[in-house]
Amino acid sequence: MNTSTARARRDQDNNEGTGNARLRPGETSAVQGVNPRITAGIRYATDGGIPGEWHLRIIRSSVPAGRVTGFQTALLDDEIIFLTPDDVDAAGLPAFGCQIADQTVLTREPKFVGDAIAAVLAPTLAAARIAASLVEVSYERAPAVFDEMAAIAPDALLVHRSHATSESDSAYFDMRPQDGTNVCHRFRIRTAALQGRQEPNVITELDDSDTALADAFAQADVIIDEVFHTPAAAHVPMEPHATNAQWVEGRLEVVTGTQTPFNMRQDLAHIFGLAADDVRIVVPPMGGAFGAKTFIRTEAITALAARVSGRPVRCVLDRDEVFNEVTRHPSTVRIRLGAKADGTFVAKRIWAYVNTGAYADCGPGVAQKMGYAGVGPYRFEHVAVDSYCIYTNLPPGGAFRGYGAMQSVWASERAVDLLADRLGIDAVELRRQNLLREGDTFCTGEVMHDSHFEELLDDAASAVGWEKDGDRAGKGVAIMLKGMQTPSKAEARIQLLPDGRYEVQAGTADMGQGASEMLTRLAAEYLKCDVDQIVVCTPDTDRVPYDTRTTSSRSTHMMSRALADAAQDLLQHGTVGHGYVSNDGGLDPDTGQGVASSHWHQGSAAASLDVDEETGVITLRTLYASSYAGKVVNPHGADLQNEGSMILGLGSALFEELQFSDGQMTNPNLSDYNIASALDVVSISHKVMQIPGAEVHGLGETAVPPVPPAIGNAVASFGYHVTRLPMTPERVLAAAPSHEQASPPVGHIQGEEGA
Amino acid sequence: MTWIQPTSVDAVVRARAENPEAIIVAGGTFLGILVRAGMLEADDWISLQDVRELTRLQSLGDLSIGAMVRHRRLELDEDVRGIWPGIAAAFRAVASPRVRNVATVGGVLADADYASDPPSMLVASRAVAEIASVRGSRRVPIEELITGHYSTCLEEDELITRVIVPRPQGPAVYRKLRTRSQEDRPSSSVAAVVHQGTVRVVVGAVSDRPHHFADLCATWRPGNEDSAREIGAGYAERIEYIDDNRGSAAYRRRVVAVEVRRALMQVSS
Ligand SMILES: Cc1cc2nc3c(=O)[nH]c(=O)nc-3n(C[C@H](O)[C@H](O)[C@H](O)COP(=O)(O)OP(=O)(O)OC[C@H]3O[C@@H](n4cnc5c(N)ncnc54)[C@H](O)[C@@H]3O)c2cc1C
Repeated sequence: MNTSTARARRDQDNNEGTGNARLRPGETSAVQGVNPRITAGIRYATDGGIPGEWHLRIIRSSVPAGRVTGFQTALLDDEIIFLTPDDVDAAGLPAFGCQIADQTVLTREPKFVGDAIAAVLAPTLAAARIAASLVEVSYERAPAVFDEMAAIAPDALLVHRSHATSESDSAYFDMRPQDGTNVCHRFRIRTAALQGRQEPNVITELDDSDTALADAFAQADVIIDEVFHTPAAAHVPMEPHATNAQWVEGRLEVVTGTQTPFNMRQDLAHIFGLAADDVRIVVPPMGGAFGAKTFIRTEAITALAARVSGRPVRCVLDRDEVFNEVTRHPSTVRIRLGAKADGTFVAKRIWAYVNTGAYADCGPGVAQKMGYAGVGPYRFEHVAVDSYCIYTNLPPGGAFRGYGAMQSVWASERAVDLLADRLGIDAVELRRQNLLREGDTFCTGEVMHDSHFEELLDDAASAVGWEKDGDRAGKGVAIMLKGMQTPSKAEARIQLLPDGRYEVQAGTADMGQGASEMLTRLAAEYLKCDVDQIVVCTPDTDRVPYDTRTTSSRSTHMMSRALADAAQDLLQHGTVGHGYVSNDGGLDPDTGQGVASSHWHQGSAAASLDVDEETGVITLRTLYASSYAGKVVNPHGADLQNEGSMILGLGSALFEELQFSDGQMTNPNLSDYNIASALDVVSISHKVMQIPGAEVHGLGETAVPPVPPAIGNAVASFGYHVTRLPMTPERVLAAAPSHEQASPPVGHIQGEEGA
Repeated sequence: MTWIQPTSVDAVVRARAENPEAIIVAGGTFLGILVRAGMLEADDWISLQDVRELTRLQSLGDLSIGAMVRHRRLELDEDVRGIWPGIAAAFRAVASPRVRNVATVGGVLADADYASDPPSMLVASRAVAEIASVRGSRRVPIEELITGHYSTCLEEDELITRVIVPRPQGPAVYRKLRTRSQEDRPSSSVAAVVHQGTVRVVVGAVSDRPHHFADLCATWRPGNEDSAREIGAGYAERIEYIDDNRGSAAYRRRVVAVEVRRALMQVSS
């Protein structure tokens, strides 16, 4: 393809926008031919590669809390290398954690079933498996706590004896641990009139009367007060976590599937007492991640094993280990929403109880996002949010596509429909009446720009044939806003190669979302050359400049601008071009004022469905999502991202739930844990909304959060008020009008529903 | 490890007699998962993939389904769809085309997984399994073949060679209730087959094995909603239910009453 046709094709893409049926897969691909992901043409970290690698198996706690009192290793062959917390101590490795330093490489005091307590290293995987099965562990058990509400109760036992603090960690921001409790971070929003009051540090009861702030609702004629739940869920990347590590003349080299190469470099340097430059992270394309491959997972233990053994070491998790490695935060969210009789929103109060499991990981960040996303794209006089990141003895919660927004949008958008019912106002109209418009101020003090909530709402409503004040049986809508990681930095470099092609050097990891294709297309556009002239280098911290990480749908938004600068620089100065962008911001943890996000992910969804009143089975007729993308770089890729988000949202809404018995996960496999299948997605359609001349917006997660409440609102239109995800047929039946009052009285707190 | 691939039923049963520990591999969809999950280890394997005689499907009189016939074939075969529509429907309800392309009739019966679709329909259709060993062959009705959770009356050296389904004289209905994904196993599996004016209703996937209550079925008045409801209530009450990720025992009790009633009304029309 020559330059002019390449550009013509791009123009065509831009003109046509993205729709559904028009483009065949691959048709707009900048990478010519069949996608190598389909032809097995990619080598993943799980495929290994360093000759002479030994294999690591992690020995995991079978108790949710307690102490390891001994290992019996008499049956191990001599060649097996056995690693314990003693080796961690001997190496002097400190505690670590991306936001709170609360983890150790191997622990004597396991805090969840599956916590890494030892490891075996053997020349073959089979030998490593056998060795792992031959080690016997004795424990002293301790009581454990699993539920976030039990863990925040005043007399709850503490998962960690004291709160660690550290400001040197890779994703640190201002933490607010609450001493003497399991709350490792508390995030609050208080709009102007609600600031500076005398308040309890932690609110532990779901029916707390909230006396200190009750006057916020003084002007409200109607108040909805309801509690919603979301369970733990699994990311289910096809490729498991896989790490290869080797020490080369005092430098640590790690080839691993990670979304966070530079955070990884910093955290490993901290653990092993090295300069950042002495750690090299190489990231082959990943077979999916969805948040599961952020921060340190298998990397630190693999690096330690490589150091102790003096050999390259490889560690690949089994499927059940992937399930237990990191999960989506289970959460309980209470929403109090007040409005005037004419529908004008007055005040919103949110309490989000975020179960981060045994370690904080990035739970504090998730708690913050859950806190403000639950406010929604609406105008309020008063907003007060308390979001608590709470330790329990479950596997750690971490980044998960939708990043906290899903849990609180589920709650808050269901609450809007309850309010609409109570007021007798059409649910779309009620939303429209209160939406944030250009120039309005969000609860964080940010003035909205480039906001398209009304178009998104109308688009979703029309997709299900919503008529104002018409019959809405089986129909539901939802709208949401979600932020991007802020502050955030991205750097890109473009180098002219001797053969005349250009190499793009960027830290954006490709996990199937099409990152390298995005970089290829944009570089070709900025350099006004053919896509064939662009090579994208694998993220390698020795070769690519700094980037915050590949999370929070930030990469296309941030990297596109860094790349544009780099191209500009190169065109002016010859053979190498540098580009750098930085978005400042952050929120005050006590008032929630500041800059939550440098741009907003805006999305809506609508559902139209039937409920079988005898079996509770939900049959989707239409599931639709509309996401604002600003400028679209790769139309086909954008469609896939939006659909992928919807499918995840659909699974969360109807099927997905990790179950535990005494802290032990009981369904860590794909038979007992059900994700949406090809046959479930027939009802899906969507739109990627773009506007000529707009800036690139993130799109990777936008359609996740609005899907569950859109479905929930449609189900509720028949009188089934389900408050707990997933909406299994059983829970739908239990929420039938005969079981419960159809509209709970003002101030009514809904407890656990369902079996 | 040994892997043998005989080409005749005779050779298979001899190999089994010599080494009853050896594991029969048909489509491998069930075994594959067990092995991957570390729940099954074995030194010796006998693959049925080259035993041509086990892949025969004959529909001239009764339906004769070789043990190695794949689900997909029963779903698509013109004669099966036309004459044994209940059988075609039950096999079509299994998982996804990817699984149905490899899963076999012998495999689904021998694994005796309670959460399966075909067994209830095979029992309702009065199907019989033919079983071979070096001692000869015998026929066992499917309701006697499956004895409980993952257990059958097969002796350790026996092989299922085929399943025989009589020609139906009346309508048949298969109802699979899915509570999660469309590719999930059943939460309840209800088959109803009418034969010479009487109905056989069989409920599977809700307890250790399929259940048929002839006395309840004998009370059926075709087309009568009350009769259907009473029979549904009777089935709901008599079965001892299990709890799993597809539904609690209480939920299953509730929906079995509904699904049996609906199946009976469907075979009436
Ligand atoms: C993803 C997935 C989804 C599924 N969903 C469903 C579903 O929705 N509904 C449903 O009904 N089932 C479902 N199944 C189960 C599937 O139908 C069974 O795994 C399959 O029928 C087993 O057949 P196979 O030929 O693969 O058996 P194999 O795995 O080869 O063997 C199964 C067992 O039977 C024994 N065996 C096999 N053939 C014979 C024989 N001729 N004589 C004696 N013993 C024999 C084997 O030794 C083994 O113990 C699902 C399976 C998978 C993997």
